[in-house]
Amino acid sequence: MMTNNLKVLRAIKNISQEELAKKISVSRQTINAMEKGKYVPSTVLALKLARFFENPVEEIFSLENED
Amino acid sequence: MKTHFLFPNKFKILGWILFIPSLLTFMLASIFKLDIDKYLNIKVFAIYQESIGQKPGFFEIIEDSFSYELITILIILGGLFICFSKLKNEDEYTSKIRYESLVWATYFNYFLILFFTLFLYGMPFLNVIVYNVYTLLIFFMIRFHYLIYKLNKTSNDDE
Repeated sequence: MMTNNLKVLRAIKNISQEELAKKISVSRQTINAMEKGKYVPSTVLALKLARFFENPVEEIFSLENED
Repeated sequence: MKTHFLFPNKFKILGWILFIPSLLTFMLASIFKLDIDKYLNIKVFAIYQESIGQKPGFFEIIEDSFSYELITILIILGGLFICFSKLKNEDEYTSKIRYESLVWATYFNYFLILFFTLFLYGMPFLNVIVYNVYTLLIFFMIRFHYLIYKLNKTSNDDE
């Protein structure tokens, strides 16, 4: 449905799932589930991630072909 | 995150304290066919009452055993607190799991009722209806906590 490069961005910033989770006030499990593509975040959460990584939302998340 | 209709996290522990003893009492009483209905006779207000050997009536104060009523109240309140208190780390993903577990539990509960409607007759079916007062809460409780447990476990494995 949707892919993201959270893991890559996180590696570039060199921060753990736990730290990222704290920054955007969700649980670490949620970060983990998003990185694995098991959970599609809400718009609010996507925008928070975009703000944190200083990247537009479309750079972080992208639709897969069939959508 | 703002959540609607959920109790604060502290209510969960209160829920377990109310739920476990009352559920155990209820189960022991029904397994061993204990007559707990002879205890706790108090005056109660009945909007309507109709029991064997008594004249039915509206808006009366009658004397009745309050044991099953007490157990029912404790199981339901305890169950609601356990099911609908926020987790320590409630966020939008756990809310989604909560929602999906509730849908799952509702289907499962009504599937069982349909099944027993078709295949149980007489008194045993009445028992199904009695247990059904609590089963939706219990199925949800098990499903939700199982999924949260699985989530915590898998995401601990891979970091």
